[in-house]
Amino acid sequence: MSVSGPIICPVCGKKAKTGSAIDCARHMFGTGDKPHRQWVDAQGLSFIDLMIEQATTPGNKSYQILADVIEKDAEKRQKGK
Amino acid sequence: MNRYTVINPHTKFTVINTHVHNVDGIAKVTGRATYTFDVVLPGMLYGKILRSPHAHAKIKSIDYSKAMALHGVKAVATGKDTLGAKQGIWRRYKDLCDEQLLTVDKVRYIGEPVAAVAAVTEEIAEKALELIEVDYEVLEGVYEPLDAIKKEAPEIHEGFERNINVTRHIEWGDVDEGFAEADYIREDWFRCGGQAHMCMETRAAVSSYTPDGKLTIYHSNQSPYYMQGLMAGVMGMREGDIRVISPYVGGGFGGKFELDGAIFATAVLSKKCMRPVKIVFTREEDFIASKRRTPMFYYSRTGVKKDGTLLCREAKVFTNGGAYTGMGATALYLTGFFHSFPYVWQKGYRYDGYRVYTNTLPSTSMRGFGAPQAMWCSEQQIEWIAADLKLDPIEMRRKNSHYEGYEVPGQATIASCGINQCYDEIKKWIASKGKLPKGHAIGLSACGFMSGGIFNWFDTPYSFSSAVVTINMDGTVELNVGAQDIGQGSNTTMAIICAETLGCKIEDVKVHSGDTDYNPADLGAWGSRQTLMSGNAVKRAAEDAKKQLLEFAYAQSGLNIIYDLDIKDRWVHSISRPERGSDYVDLVRKALRGKSGQRIMGRGFYTPYRKGMISPAYSYMLQGVEVEVDEETGKIRLCDSMTAHDCGQPINHLGLIGQLEGAFSMAAGYGYLEYMPYEDGKLMNPNLVDYHMIRAPEMPPANIAEIDTYEPEGPYGAKEAGEGLTNPTAAAIGNALFKLYGIQMKECPIKPEMVVNALKEKKAKGK
Repeated sequence: MSVSGPIICPVCGKKAKTGSAIDCARHMFGTGDKPHRQWVDAQGLSFIDLMIEQATTPGNKSYQILADVIEKDAEKRQKGK
Repeated sequence: MNRYTVINPHTKFTVINTHVHNVDGIAKVTGRATYTFDVVLPGMLYGKILRSPHAHAKIKSIDYSKAMALHGVKAVATGKDTLGAKQGIWRRYKDLCDEQLLTVDKVRYIGEPVAAVAAVTEEIAEKALELIEVDYEVLEGVYEPLDAIKKEAPEIHEGFERNINVTRHIEWGDVDEGFAEADYIREDWFRCGGQAHMCMETRAAVSSYTPDGKLTIYHSNQSPYYMQGLMAGVMGMREGDIRVISPYVGGGFGGKFELDGAIFATAVLSKKCMRPVKIVFTREEDFIASKRRTPMFYYSRTGVKKDGTLLCREAKVFTNGGAYTGMGATALYLTGFFHSFPYVWQKGYRYDGYRVYTNTLPSTSMRGFGAPQAMWCSEQQIEWIAADLKLDPIEMRRKNSHYEGYEVPGQATIASCGINQCYDEIKKWIASKGKLPKGHAIGLSACGFMSGGIFNWFDTPYSFSSAVVTINMDGTVELNVGAQDIGQGSNTTMAIICAETLGCKIEDVKVHSGDTDYNPADLGAWGSRQTLMSGNAVKRAAEDAKKQLLEFAYAQSGLNIIYDLDIKDRWVHSISRPERGSDYVDLVRKALRGKSGQRIMGRGFYTPYRKGMISPAYSYMLQGVEVEVDEETGKIRLCDSMTAHDCGQPINHLGLIGQLEGAFSMAAGYGYLEYMPYEDGKLMNPNLVDYHMIRAPEMPPANIAEIDTYEPEGPYGAKEAGEGLTNPTAAAIGNALFKLYGIQMKECPIKPEMVVNALKEKKAKGK
């Protein structure tokens, strides 16, 4: 199943640019404040490790990992409604 | 002798781009100009700052009783005498306001102010510093960003995990798809060093706090308005109770629009003893305790088609932020943006920037604002790609360059762009040189730059620029601007725009700037903003005043309504019949009478709206530098240079030449001479003997081809000049070495030993 409609940030409710999960991931990294970091960490990831991975290796892997998690979370929330 | 040629000159102006000397030139060359350094007030004391000898330490206690007992000492201040407010120019974002200018409990770099003394002489103040006892608990320090992000690295600021201060992400298009489609992919790591601003006038301030709760500050800075706002924050005062006077400023180069130790310590000391206090940094203090150009580690990966079409680029950057944020967050964004310049990326562009705290001197903005580092990496890589693909480097650049009407997705719209003619002019110059002597080569580098930033991290409620024009009874004009002349000739530029618009002569205009009590707020001199932004405000203020004047001219002329009036060169006339007219001064007198004796006053302002993320306009340029190398010592000599530069419509060509030559000298220094080596957080060359700026005999001819274009957003079509040219030179020098020997320099500045090693390595490989 994919999410219908734009994905909004699970922390602050903001729709990032196109409303895609990858844009939401960029928004979360870009904002990077405590609530956003805590949300990422609570998903079993490490915000800071993802960020450093993004910084030190070619490609977009960290954003993609976070986007997948955001998408799954959005699906879960949509199902719950 | 430098050659200066103009391509597409406009001749429709009476004042703009004529031979105008600096309006404050006589005051400067006769020594009458009063800099902060020269200010002496009655009862003034002299201050000195005690600085941390440790890169990272907790302050357990400070005992200054012995210093206070010294005859002639009037006050000592520590962080405990302050509000302890953490400040920063990014005041819209509290997390980034991280610097206490007199630290309260922790030092984070060698040279950080710990205490300040005011005494009747400088010598006594200096002696008193030796009597202050500070008990430190020394902490482990970390000096390089790639070390500071390690898990085991010491924490410099609480709450900033892995010492990451700020991150920035820029992305458009589909970069991954671009790499998938690319015929050729190249990736490189680069390292760019820091650079000292090296203003002729070191940081200096004189503060006078008076019993009525008002504070007057003489200070050498790039934005009196910023100083007023920031000082209000750290002193717990209202902006209106603080007057900042900055009459003449001996250079800024991006290093003087944040608070410094001099302004803060003098204000705190003055408030303590109710006498004026003066502090002038020594050259060594300016080196170790101001700020510097941001050192960067760059990873750049570029995908191209075999015909040289640029498809995509991915860049990752770590910057050595030093101990505090300063303007580093902006430099972090701009370096990422300008790393894409001046090219169109057919598939996409992605940038991730990470600013990392370290226990070194804070890094910040410096002329070029992150772009010199971006261009050093980009323009060398472009040259190497052209060589890898066996393409002409100029034509490869040309086919991928920005053009008029191009939109950098989500970032900027390019309304004027003369880069094509820049390529033509440099090609002509190369051809004119014929065969170069053995051991010589010409390196090229293209770039573009902004004309003022759109950002409002300062959170000002005022217009970005404002001006007021007042006409006296004799036709002379008072022009009040918040724009700041820091030696770049801003007052002259504003006077020219005012005279051209109003129709008077340049000598009729008196410019008042550098005083927050008498001039409107303006963000000041940074990011090449004043000609476009403050210039627009001045033009609008002059137009407002002129409109009021012409109302009286229309009333008295009795002309048919279909005829338009104008004023040029003090002559009020019908545009269609210029010979019919009257004297400008007569008109001013009549208008004065008609307004019940009130002087005509025009007001103008400018704030950019709907102009993208970065800037309302962009300049473009291509530079060629002829280089010779001593293969035995690795020493580089610059033999000749040519810059083709599109700055829209030049307002003052003498000023333009000065700006371009000055920027080139600074850029050349960055490319192969100036570097700031640190050992355990200590700068190893904080003096002008060991820190090698370019000197007159080392300067090659700085030839200029000025490409006149028209920028619709600029006053009379003007845009940036003088900062952008700090960007291309380092890469041009590197590219000359590549052309000469095929060596690829990845560290800037290029020191002689690097050249020798690269040549040795090449020789070894050849064997």
